[in-house]
Amino acid sequence: MQRYSFAKRWRLHVPIAPIVLLALSPIVVLIALATQEPLEFGSRNWRILGNTVGLTALTVLGAVAIGAPLAFATTCLKLRRAGLVLAMLVFPLAVPSYIGAFAYFAATGPGGEIENLFGIAPPEVRGLFGTAWVMTLYTFPFVVLSVRASLLRLDAGLVESGRTLGLTPLGTLSHVIFPRIRGGIASGALLVALYTLSDFATPAILGFDTFTRAIYVEYNAFGLSRAAWLSLQLLLLVLVVLTFESRAKTVRENPGRTLRWNPLPATKFCIFISTTLIWISSVGLPFVLFFIWIKREGVRSFEPSILLHSVVPAGLAAFCAVIVALPLAQAASYGGRTENWMLRLTSFGFGIPGIVMGTALVYVGLHLPWMYQTTAMLVLGYVLRFLPLATGSLREGLDRLENSLSAAARSLGASPFETFRRVKLPLIMPAALSGAALIFLEAMRELPLTLLLRPTGMETLTTRLWQVYEAGYFGDAAIPGLLLIFTSFIAMLLFIRTERLLRLAPEAET
Amino acid sequence: MDRRTYCTTLAAIGVLGAKRLLASKANSPLAAESVENLPKIQGAITLYLGRGEGGLYEDILKAIKERNPDLELKIRRGPSSALANTIVAEAGSGVQRADLFWAIDSGSIGHVLNNAVAKPLPSIIRDMLEPKFRREAWTPISGRIRTLTFNTDRITREAIPKSILDLPHRDLKIGWAPTYAAFQSFVTAFRLLEGEKTTEEWLKAMRSKARALAGELNVVMAVASGDLDIGLANHYYTLRLKKGRPEVPLDLAFTNNDAGCLLNVSGVVILQNKPETELFLRHLLTKEVQSYLAREAYEIPLVIGIQPPKGLPEIARVNPPKVDLDKLADLKPTLTLLRKTEVL
Repeated sequence: MQRYSFAKRWRLHVPIAPIVLLALSPIVVLIALATQEPLEFGSRNWRILGNTVGLTALTVLGAVAIGAPLAFATTCLKLRRAGLVLAMLVFPLAVPSYIGAFAYFAATGPGGEIENLFGIAPPEVRGLFGTAWVMTLYTFPFVVLSVRASLLRLDAGLVESGRTLGLTPLGTLSHVIFPRIRGGIASGALLVALYTLSDFATPAILGFDTFTRAIYVEYNAFGLSRAAWLSLQLLLLVLVVLTFESRAKTVRENPGRTLRWNPLPATKFCIFISTTLIWISSVGLPFVLFFIWIKREGVRSFEPSILLHSVVPAGLAAFCAVIVALPLAQAASYGGRTENWMLRLTSFGFGIPGIVMGTALVYVGLHLPWMYQTTAMLVLGYVLRFLPLATGSLREGLDRLENSLSAAARSLGASPFETFRRVKLPLIMPAALSGAALIFLEAMRELPLTLLLRPTGMETLTTRLWQVYEAGYFGDAAIPGLLLIFTSFIAMLLFIRTERLLRLAPEAET
Repeated sequence: MDRRTYCTTLAAIGVLGAKRLLASKANSPLAAESVENLPKIQGAITLYLGRGEGGLYEDILKAIKERNPDLELKIRRGPSSALANTIVAEAGSGVQRADLFWAIDSGSIGHVLNNAVAKPLPSIIRDMLEPKFRREAWTPISGRIRTLTFNTDRITREAIPKSILDLPHRDLKIGWAPTYAAFQSFVTAFRLLEGEKTTEEWLKAMRSKARALAGELNVVMAVASGDLDIGLANHYYTLRLKKGRPEVPLDLAFTNNDAGCLLNVSGVVILQNKPETELFLRHLLTKEVQSYLAREAYEIPLVIGIQPPKGLPEIARVNPPKVDLDKLADLKPTLTLLRKTEVL
């Protein structure tokens, strides 16, 4: 990897310094708000901390336990319709976890829809285990994708050498494969942890006291200062996760053949059963509920403008975030420790829960009246919060680039801009697209941030859904819920398409 | 029992044609204005709307919009307390967006009145209200009473104490919603009436017995399904539920002259004096809207001469405590107490 000299690195800093400052501004606002009142840390605080850590740990364990084996199965085993299985496994990403929570809330327990249909009431999904179960169902695809990416980079030759030298299949798994996908598991687990730490609606609906829920309660009870103080504690947890992340490194592999094993029929059967079960409990349940509600109550007035209000800001955010992320990722990729830290600082946003980011940005907006309650502010909020998804994706794309290609272009007389446009850009396009798709998906379904920052009078699919939930008119959730899933699904198709592009690249070399 | 079907039934009664609402000609004995006599609203209004009472407010707004095609109504929805925070923050920075604030409890209104500039009300609006609800700086729109809602299959009326203080000492499965603004106003009234120490002891005793739910609709549904014996909630949830499903084993009980039967109100604050905002407010106080709120939402009308909702048979006999509604804004000590007792 080529490193730039310090003088050259300064040139990289100029465009990214304002971005880093902007990304940090919510934290400054939070500190200012929190220190307005004396800070306390009581027994209630300990309970919330315990709950949050417990939920995150359980969710990460669950997501890795489900995600890693299934990633291996869909990537390294010869399955019929492996593409379909993979699509099914990634699909839960298109379902916001609060829709899942909403569905479980409505379906389980005494008086739930399941009892209405079958006459038997399953135990109510709530509390620590219930919340962890629902969170796991909608976050494990992060692990599937990241582990799959590592597995695709793995050279089958290494595994076969291990086998030839006498390792059992299990031994190969633990001595050859596992060390190489550890980074993938770690980065997937990190995403799951961040997602769990910052999710607000799922624990709120399932009645579990985490930081985000406590922050929301304080915020609504005029306890802004306490809300900020709790937010800072939550950010500390995020910092811990990010520190772990900095230690997890992806192993750079020489390109080779992808591993392909023939599975036993029993294994195939297990994969089939587990995939189906997971799919039914994560995607099937909300779908069935929505259709039952539509059938029972019909389609009530739905304003198409709501869809537009969801798609436009999310699309703008995806576009802007990729543009902003490019110099950041570039700096981190070619720079040294300083740049890496800058990148890490901007990735704080993903850990700032929407409700907190929203509160902070509302206060920033109050000092910039021309931004206050505008679409621009909402887009800025999305960009700050989801920027890490773009930088991460682009960084990976850039790291994979051969510098010699740019060097060759430059030596053939191309200007730096032309080199960027004709050599680098096409090569990192898949990474940029998958980053943009992820951001679009996340922004579409972001709830608390949208609630706080949207211009007055603008209702989106998510705010609509929340309104319906608060009012208790579950039937009205069906159309916005389905539309939300549908648009997320399209973004996901784009994501999978680019993922396939990434996957085809190494195979083309063999 | 089926708590979800109740919701859907609620939805069904909530969705009444907006046309029907403002077309109906209620026969009111006294002076309430008719929407027919009001001039059309022209211009733009930004309304901050505290979390809607299950879509019923939406129907009213829709009807007003249909009647006034030249009205450009922008609505920001959210929990009353969060919107109150926003308004106070806006006022502090000299950024003002809201023309009107419609909150579902007087605590949020008080917070705004104490920390932001509200515009005084024209006397024409004040005079429409029952004298005891007339205020200088804000308008009550509709009233609600704190009740004990109980499951008639599980307990009898005799098992329910006449004093809210005795509630935690009975062998009852109780539900409450501590994060709900109306509950917090109830605790404020409790404090004002009984003092800090008694309130703290009561909260501690209740905390070990009561199950906390997300909202008071959930409380009422849990009581209806037989999960709980009794719950603390505003009166209208029970009445609306019973309207949708008359066979539900639910009934209302009232304590006597304590916070347990507090009479609280929803209300509007004018933040920007414009002819539009005044006219809009007068729409909310017309006999059509007020009767609709009483008839469909079971809220207690506060304008002179509108019939109270059916199914609140005891309303005349209820003996609510004398609490100055403006004092309910004193929420901070309440929240401190709720946090101290770990209720919140």
